[in-house]
Amino acid sequence: MKPLIATACVIALAAGLAGCGEKSQVVVYKQGQYQGKADGKPWDNEAFSGDKGNWETAIKARNQSQNEYRRING
Amino acid sequence: MARMKFICDAERCIECNGCVTACKNEHEVPWGVNRRRVVTINDGVPGERSMSVACMHCSDAPCMAVCPVDCFYRTDEGVVLHDKDLCIGCGYCFYACPFGAPQFPQAGAFGLRGKMDKCTFCAGGPEANSSEEEFRKYGRNRLAEGKLPLCAEVCSTKALLGGDADVLADIYRQRVLTRGKGAEIWGWSTAYGKPDAPAAPAPSAGGKS
Amino acid sequence: MTLTRKLPAAERGGRSAARLARPAQTATSAPRTMDRRAFLKRSGMTAGAGAFASALPFSMVGRAEASTASAAGAKVEVKRTVCTHCSVGCAIDAEVVNGVWVGQEPVFDSPINMGAHCAKGASIREHGHGEHRLRYPMKLVDGKWVRMSWDDALNEVSARLLKLREESGPDSVYWIGSSKHNNEQAYLLRKFVSMWGTNNCDHQARICHSTTVAGVANTWGYGAMTNSYNDMQNSKAIFFMGSNAAEAHPVSLLHILHAKENGAKIIVADPRFTRTAAKADHFVRIRSGSDIAILYGVLRHIFENGWEDKKYIEDRVYGMDKIRDEAMKWTADKVEEVSGVPDDQVKLIAETMAKNKPSTVVWCMGQTQHTTGNAIVRMMCNLQLALGNVGVAGGGTNIFRGHDNVQGATDVGPNPDSLPGYYGIATGSWKHWANVWGVDYEWLKGRYASQALMEKSGITVSRWIDGVTEKNELIDQDPNLRAVVFWGHAPNSQTRGKDMLEAMKALDTLVVIDPYPSATAAMAASARKDGVYLLPAATQFETEGSCTASNRSIQWREKVIEPLWESKPDHTIMYLFAQKFGFAEQLTKNVKVTNNEPSVEDILREINRGTWTIGYTGQSPERLKIHMRNMQVFDPKTLKAKGGIDKETGYVLDGEYFGLPWPCYGTPEMKHPGSPNLYDTSKHVMDGGGNFRANFGVEKDGASLLAADGSASKGADLQFGYPEFDHVLLKKLGWWEELSEDEKKKAEGKNWKTDPSGGIIRVAMKNHGCHPFGNAKARAVVWNFPDPVPVHREPIFSPRADLVAKYPTHEDKKAFWRLPTLYKSVQDQFANVGKDYPLIMTSGRLVEYEGGGDETRSNPWLAELQQNMFVEINPKAANDRGIRDKDMVWVKSPSGAQIKVQAMVTERVGPDTVFLPFHFAGHWMGKDLIDSYPEGAAPVVRGEAVNTATTYGYDSVTMMQETKTTVCQIMKA
Repeated sequence: MKPLIATACVIALAAGLAGCGEKSQVVVYKQGQYQGKADGKPWDNEAFSGDKGNWETAIKARNQSQNEYRRING
Repeated sequence: MARMKFICDAERCIECNGCVTACKNEHEVPWGVNRRRVVTINDGVPGERSMSVACMHCSDAPCMAVCPVDCFYRTDEGVVLHDKDLCIGCGYCFYACPFGAPQFPQAGAFGLRGKMDKCTFCAGGPEANSSEEEFRKYGRNRLAEGKLPLCAEVCSTKALLGGDADVLADIYRQRVLTRGKGAEIWGWSTAYGKPDAPAAPAPSAGGKS
Repeated sequence: MTLTRKLPAAERGGRSAARLARPAQTATSAPRTMDRRAFLKRSGMTAGAGAFASALPFSMVGRAEASTASAAGAKVEVKRTVCTHCSVGCAIDAEVVNGVWVGQEPVFDSPINMGAHCAKGASIREHGHGEHRLRYPMKLVDGKWVRMSWDDALNEVSARLLKLREESGPDSVYWIGSSKHNNEQAYLLRKFVSMWGTNNCDHQARICHSTTVAGVANTWGYGAMTNSYNDMQNSKAIFFMGSNAAEAHPVSLLHILHAKENGAKIIVADPRFTRTAAKADHFVRIRSGSDIAILYGVLRHIFENGWEDKKYIEDRVYGMDKIRDEAMKWTADKVEEVSGVPDDQVKLIAETMAKNKPSTVVWCMGQTQHTTGNAIVRMMCNLQLALGNVGVAGGGTNIFRGHDNVQGATDVGPNPDSLPGYYGIATGSWKHWANVWGVDYEWLKGRYASQALMEKSGITVSRWIDGVTEKNELIDQDPNLRAVVFWGHAPNSQTRGKDMLEAMKALDTLVVIDPYPSATAAMAASARKDGVYLLPAATQFETEGSCTASNRSIQWREKVIEPLWESKPDHTIMYLFAQKFGFAEQLTKNVKVTNNEPSVEDILREINRGTWTIGYTGQSPERLKIHMRNMQVFDPKTLKAKGGIDKETGYVLDGEYFGLPWPCYGTPEMKHPGSPNLYDTSKHVMDGGGNFRANFGVEKDGASLLAADGSASKGADLQFGYPEFDHVLLKKLGWWEELSEDEKKKAEGKNWKTDPSGGIIRVAMKNHGCHPFGNAKARAVVWNFPDPVPVHREPIFSPRADLVAKYPTHEDKKAFWRLPTLYKSVQDQFANVGKDYPLIMTSGRLVEYEGGGDETRSNPWLAELQQNMFVEINPKAANDRGIRDKDMVWVKSPSGAQIKVQAMVTERVGPDTVFLPFHFAGHWMGKDLIDSYPEGAAPVVRGEAVNTATTYGYDSVTMMQETKTTVCQIMKA
């Protein structure tokens, strides 16, 4: 969504300001580099013993609890 | 590769606020801070629809882009989190967010020195997983317990879905097919492509991960 | 046998550590103190939270000390419980560390809620905090609340009550029980009140679904929801009239929206465009109280088009021709004149229901709380009978009950006109229960003022105020009421608040037994100086026991935490009072008592031994617990177990229905599976099948009341109508010899309801597939009611003088539930009330709160979501009065009361109607009563109670109060 809005703004502002001969005042954001503390992975614990695949399988299975069709027809 | 998303099925959401209190309960969120809320349009007239809204964990997150101290990061699972130790509580992310997700509490463990607080997708923050420190600053880390956000897990009508985008797409597609009408969900086509087409593959992880 | 599962601590990690209430100590150690400012900061309370006493409960201390508490080695125990807020029965797994409730997890296995919760269920853990609870016994001394010890409280209260009993007899005390008690407590309270010697007891069912229970039971046998929330998945059309399930029973929408997704059509008829209406295919706006007219209109279309089920009516319904005759009189213009609903919409309802079968109906307070409530609900039954929808999966009358255990408390609790199991209060019933209780009938009779009063229905909770203030010569018992005990019941749920305050002033003694001090305390303290006592009761999370969901499934709650503060479980308090009153021994003859706490399991076993009528006999504590720990084997559509063997006991679950929905006939050993859908002839009686009950004789005016030949439950040896079973019938049929010698001894001279061996039931059901209560027709005409064929009558307070003239209410009654009850005289007096009070005032629920709301408004997670009492008013009505959205307004009623609330201008209501939620209390006609609550125990959010302003009017059968249709005027404050 953001790029679309940004583009629209750029066009609108460019059109509006063209007569003034000034350059666009739209801020173009640059992705910065994360400066905070490093975070652990959700599978780096006793329950999943660092196995990412293990964790993903567990999460996918758990996800189906939000699907009542599975409980009703299963 | 899991990519975490929320979607809310407006055909099912009944504005019961179960998601809101579940969040309060799970993370001990103080009065006045709403990591999640339910928005209703056409309140009280035909066409009334409700939708539960929190941080959408954007792929190209505006909060991340504007943060002057670069305290945001995106996890491998696509969850947008931030470091409260670094956050200066300037509120720039609040300007940038299209959903009003960032909250600026006055008091309590979450709001120390007016730092920003928001939905973590129940994934804690940059402290040791499931540590006391993490709970105090960010709330419980359910993902590390192999569980999904409590708001979605307890939704009264299973309108709010939270988890791996692929799985959510499957669940939602089944409903749409059963209903025999189009995907009414707001923002569905933006996020996942046109409902008739097969679900678009999850966008690749980008940003500051 | 425990349901508790242990999780390794590692799995829980930080949260348990952070929420650890206190370092591993016993749960009974004294709460520690903490800095109040720090607490306020942490809890995020606003000024509305009020002041706090010096001590805090363990959990709060624990959270405050989170940084220092260590979770190392702490075990997380999982206790399975059930939400206490509504009748859906959502299961919850509570996580407890060292006695502190640290987390709650969804129970995806539950076939009822599949993990889902509304705002109330999702915030249930707040009960483990309880900072707004009543902490210790208190009494009002010179207008101030003063703490006292339990010993002093018990001594003082019992001395005062015994003095009244001595002076004025046992009928001078009124006991208001609770639909929030579990089955065992509700049952014990009825027994307790009987041993005190009065029938003056009641509970919330009176003002919730009493008209349903009476109307529906008199139509076909049992006054309960016939099917289940789950079964609505089988419906092809669902018609809501007077129910806002999306707010009152949110998790039911899980099943309903699933049905809708699979093609079911949903119609909502209501004075308000509710959130349920927002999910419907069609919304029909009606004038409040015009249900009977509309339903006759619907039936007229059904009969005119030949959409009725003729064979079904012929075989299984008595008196439908009279309903048909009446329906034909309700022409399109008449229906529209009364209800405001045009004929095409009436036809749409009829056609949708008739052409999308099985179709079901749902109703709640919107239909029950009228002077004609008993007739309105029978019209819903008649609609379903005409369509042949009763006793059918996907059909039935899905009557959504209110409180979590209002069904159970109705079934076995403190009702003024019946003993547990609807046994009535005639001599035979008393003898049956005296026998079950193991007490002498003569002794029991001696406890009452007289046998006449023992067999006379007591005063209802809707009218206790008149029991206090009515002229003595006009009431149908010797004394006026002089003391009232509010035992888990809000005052603001009863109408005529203004009169209630006068009644409170006139009482000698007022006792409140509740986890929360409740609005009763504040009202009383605002009007009295002394004679009021508050006793802290434990919540259902601080005890164990069974509760009955609306669909009649019974679930067992494990105890989650020890009682907070100085609170005690209700059954312990009953026992302690029984000791003071001198009947503790009789009260617990069959029940083990440990530390003054009667065994909950023993009480359930006693219920099992006596409640044959409605099949509360098969649900032993053992069976219920097995169901609770094996939820995953039950199908969410049918509630039936597909296979399944309990690991601990080897018990085979296959074929049983979840929670053994009553009737679960016979002894637990007979292994009846419970009845998912009542009166379902497509199933064998040992598979939960049945038929309509033979409870009204075998013949009426020459017509047989028994079912037609060929119409009986599947596999029954008697494939025709038959009366209920007793020893004579069994002998005539030649089945007597199938009883064992022991059974024969016990069953001799008895019927299926009083045979203590259960043998008659066993032979009829198991050996011969017959229903013990017989096989009869349902009654479309209930000849023992004031309006056998339902008649539309205008509410007592109607803004339409023209309709009052055409459709007047009943004549006044002299002695009705011991009180004179006015109809015509009040209606005549207020015939032109619409001139000064032109707006119809109605009330209802909000999703965040429940009942009188003291409990839920004390939960900050919920309170934050609804901080103001309001009135919904249509833009037209608001503009005509110069009112803007969010203005404060006065709502004035013809009772002379006025309440100050915020205006919510919305088209949700029509221009002639205003709506107010009924959960608020704590303000009194413009004044905040915060100073009248015990310090720190006022609910977070307070507001005007709508019932301060409601008016006179009671159902002509059950004394249900008329809250849903009265009148008011509104002006800017």
